[in-house]
Amino acid sequence: MKNNILRLGCLLFGLFLVLTVYLAYLQVWKGPALAANSYNRRFQEQEARIRRGTIYDIKGAVLARTEFSDGKGRRIYPEGTRTAHIVGYVSERYGRSGLESFCDPYLLGMEGPDRVRNRINNLLGREQAGGDVVLTIDSDLQGMAVELLGGRRGAAVLLDPRTGAVRAIVSSPGFNPNYLEETWPRLVNDESAPLMNRAAQGAYPPGSTFKIVTAAGALAGNPGVADMTFDCAGYIVADGYKLDDVAAHGKVDLRKALAVSCNSAFAQLGLNLGAEGFYRAVKAFGIREPADLGIPVRAGTLAPPGEMTQSELASSAIGQGQILVSPLQMALVAGAIANKGKIMKPYLVESVRDSCGGTIHKAASHVWLDAAAPDIAEIIKEGMVDAVRSGTAGAASVAGVQIAGKTGSAQNPQGMAHAWFIGFAPADSPRLAAAVILENAGSGGAVAAPVAGRLLAYAVSRGY
Amino acid sequence: MSSGNDERLASRARKTERKLLCFAGIYAIAGMLVLFLEGPGESGRVALFAGIASVAAFFLVNIYWSYEGYRADCFLLPVTAVISTTGLVFLFRIDPAYGIRQFAWLLIGLLALILTTRLLVDFRFLGDYKYIYAVAGLIALLLPIFFGREMGGAKSWLDFGIFHFQPSEFVKILLVLFLASFLSENRAVLTAGTRSIGWLSLPGPKEWVPLAAMWGISLLLLIFQRDLGTALIYFGTFLAMVYVTTSRLFYVLSGLGLFVAGAAASFHFFQHVRARVEIWLNPWPYIDTSGYQVTQSLFAIGSGGVLGTGLGQGYPKFIPLVHTDFIFSAICEEMGFLGAAGVMILFIVFIFRGIKIALNSRDDFEALAASGLTALMGLQAFIIIAGVTKLLPLTGVTLPFMSYGGSSLVANFILFGLLSNISHEAENSHEK
Repeated sequence: MKNNILRLGCLLFGLFLVLTVYLAYLQVWKGPALAANSYNRRFQEQEARIRRGTIYDIKGAVLARTEFSDGKGRRIYPEGTRTAHIVGYVSERYGRSGLESFCDPYLLGMEGPDRVRNRINNLLGREQAGGDVVLTIDSDLQGMAVELLGGRRGAAVLLDPRTGAVRAIVSSPGFNPNYLEETWPRLVNDESAPLMNRAAQGAYPPGSTFKIVTAAGALAGNPGVADMTFDCAGYIVADGYKLDDVAAHGKVDLRKALAVSCNSAFAQLGLNLGAEGFYRAVKAFGIREPADLGIPVRAGTLAPPGEMTQSELASSAIGQGQILVSPLQMALVAGAIANKGKIMKPYLVESVRDSCGGTIHKAASHVWLDAAAPDIAEIIKEGMVDAVRSGTAGAASVAGVQIAGKTGSAQNPQGMAHAWFIGFAPADSPRLAAAVILENAGSGGAVAAPVAGRLLAYAVSRGY
Repeated sequence: MSSGNDERLASRARKTERKLLCFAGIYAIAGMLVLFLEGPGESGRVALFAGIASVAAFFLVNIYWSYEGYRADCFLLPVTAVISTTGLVFLFRIDPAYGIRQFAWLLIGLLALILTTRLLVDFRFLGDYKYIYAVAGLIALLLPIFFGREMGGAKSWLDFGIFHFQPSEFVKILLVLFLASFLSENRAVLTAGTRSIGWLSLPGPKEWVPLAAMWGISLLLLIFQRDLGTALIYFGTFLAMVYVTTSRLFYVLSGLGLFVAGAAASFHFFQHVRARVEIWLNPWPYIDTSGYQVTQSLFAIGSGGVLGTGLGQGYPKFIPLVHTDFIFSAICEEMGFLGAAGVMILFIVFIFRGIKIALNSRDDFEALAASGLTALMGLQAFIIIAGVTKLLPLTGVTLPFMSYGGSSLVANFILFGLLSNISHEAENSHEK
C-alpha cells in the first residue's frame, strides 16, 4: 500500500507540474498576444490614467495633443482634416487608427524609461505621462496637397528618395477627427469613402506611369534595349487582341518612347521580357510587398506569372490589365529612379521622446530594395526629364526648378481615366519624389501633372 | 519512554512551526500594508487589522497546540496560513466586503481546526461509523434538492438567511472517511477477489455493492444539481483510494472507462455539458456570451506576464466571479507567473506533507484516510486552476483556502485538522 500512496503522490505532483508548465506557456509565451487582444479592456482602462503624449510634425507643429477638462482627457487635432489619414484617431466608441494606434506604446509611456517611471508614478498616485512622437511629415505640405487636390477624389504622396522620409501623404476627400463621433454615421456611409487612406490603401491601375518599371525590367534583361528603336504604328496586336495607342509615334527609341508614352513600344518590351521577367521587375520595385509604415498599407497585385496570357502581359506592361497599385508605391517607384535605382525604406516616425524629453527612438534610413542598376536609372531619368521638357508631362513644369516625371491615364471601368503623375525634383539632384492621382479626372498630363508640379515646386521652395 | 521526551519532541515541532509562521505573518501583513498604502482610509485600515488579526489567530493555534503537546506535522499550518492569507489579501483587494466576511470565516475555520484537533484527536475511532457517514452524507446531498437554492448554475446551496451553506463541501470529507473505513475493512477481499470470471477475479456483491451504491448515488445527486466539478473531485478521490487499497489498475481503468462513457453520454444528452465543452475547445466565438468568463480570465492571466502588474494594479474585476472560482486568475494577473507558481508550490508542499503523513500512519484506515484527504485537496486545487486557465473545461469549484466562501473554508480547515490528527497519532505510536 505504501508504494501505491507514493504513486498517488507522484500523480498529484505530475498534475501540478503540467499545470505549471502550461501556465508558463500561457503567461510568458502567449501573454503579450492576450494582453493586446482587442477584447481585452485593460489597455483602454490604463489609458484613462495616463496623459497621452503629443504628436508633432517635422517642423514642430502639433498634430495631436490631449487637453484636460474636468479631469477627463480629450484628444485635439489642430490640423484637422489635413493630417487625418496619417495621424488617425482615438475614440472610445470607434477604436483607434493610424499612427495614434501604431504609436500607442510610446504615447502611453510603455516604452523606455517611461515604463519604470510610470509604474512608480502609479504607485505614488501621481499623474502618469506618455512620450511624444515626431513625424517626418510637414503639415504645410499636407495643407498644400489638400488644397491642390481641391476636394476631388484622389491622393498625393511626397517623400525624400535619399532617406525614405515621407513628407506628405494626403487622401481626398478627408475627414475631421475632431468631430469623429458626430460625423461617423455619415462617414461610413459616404460612397467616396473619406475614412480610407487612398494614398496607402488605394488600388488603382497605374497606367503609363508603370512604363518606368517595364523599362527598368527590359534594360536589366537586355542592356541593348537602350539603343533599340521601335516602329510605332499606333497599335499592337498581342494574342489576337489589338492594343490601341494615342497616336502613331513612328520610329522611337526608349528615351523618346518614355517621353511620348508610346504604348506599342512598351507592350513590345513587356512581351520580349516575358511573364517571369516582368514579374521580377515588379517585385524589384517592391510592388508586391506592403511597406511597413505603421499605417495600413495595401500590397500591389497583378496576375501571377503562370496565369499571365500574352495580352495580359502586354496590358500589364503599360499599367493596365489586372495590375493594381497604391500611390505610395508609385511614389517609391519615382523615388527609385531619383535615387540611382535604390529604394530607401519609407518611414513616418522621425523620433520618439519619453515624457522627460529623452530620445528613445530615432529613425535611421537604410536601403530597402535594389530596384535597378544606377545606369538603368539614369537612362529612365533622361526619358522622364524629356517627358516634362517636351513630352506628355509638360504641364508639370514650373519656373525655377527642373522636374522629371511620367504621366499616366489609367483606363478603368468606373468612368473617365484616372489621372496619374509620378516624378521627382530637382531633376539633376533629386530631393523629393511624388505621386499624384485624381480619380476619373481625365488625362494625367492635363490634370495630375500640374498638381504634382506645383506641389514639388512648393516643397523645394520650402527647403526640402 | 518518558512523557518528558514526548513533550520535548512536541515542542520542537511547534517551535519550527512558529518560526515558519513568522515568515507567513510578515508576508500576509506586507500584503495588507500594500492595500492600506494604496487605498488608505476605512477599508485600508480594516484590511490591515484583518491581516494582523488573522496572523495572530494562526499564532494562537500554534500556542494552543504547544500547550496541549500536540505533535502534528509542523509544515501544514504555515503553508495553510500563507495560502489562506493570500486569498484574504486578494479578497480585500477585490472587494473589502468579501474580505471582511472571509476574515470572519477564517476565524471560524481556525476554531473548527482547534475543535477538530481537540475532539477528534483519537482518529482511529472514526473508523467505526462508516454507515453513519454514508447516511449523513446522502441526506446532506439530498437536502439542497428539496430546500436548495441555485447559485452560479449549481443547485447545491442551502439558504440560512445570513449565510449560504454548501453541504457538498462537507460531504466530501464524509465520503473519504466512509471509503477509508469500508476499504480498509474489505481490503483483502477487494484485492484478491472471491470469485473468478475468466482470468478476472472479482469480490462478491457484499463487498462492492455498498461501495458502488454510495459512490453512484452521490455522483447522480451532484449531476442532478449540475455540480460537475464536485462530481469530478468525488470521482477522482474515489478512484485514487480504490487504487491505493487494492493496487489493481483494473478498477481504475474500468472506472475511467465508465467516466468516459458517462462524459460522452452527458455530452449528448445535456445541453449545459455540451456548451461547456464547446467553450473549452474554442471560447473566442462566444466571447460576448457564454465564453465571456473564461476569455476574461485568460486576458487577466496573459496580462500578468512573468512579474505581474503588482498588487492593486491590475483589473481582476473584469472577470465575473473573480472572488470565488476565478481568484487564481486575479493572482496570475497581479503577482504574475512567479506568484502563481508560488501558490502552486504551496499546494504541492501541502500534498507532499499529506502523502508523508499517509506513509507514516499506523494502520490501513489512517493511511487511506490521509491519502484520500490529500487527493481530495490536490484534485480540487488542480481542477479549478486547470479550469480557469482553460487546460480543462471549466467546472465551478472553489480553490481550497483561497476562494471566497465559508463552507469551503471551514470544510478545508476540518480536512486539515483530520490530516493533522493522523500525523499526531503516528508520532505518538512511533515514540511508544
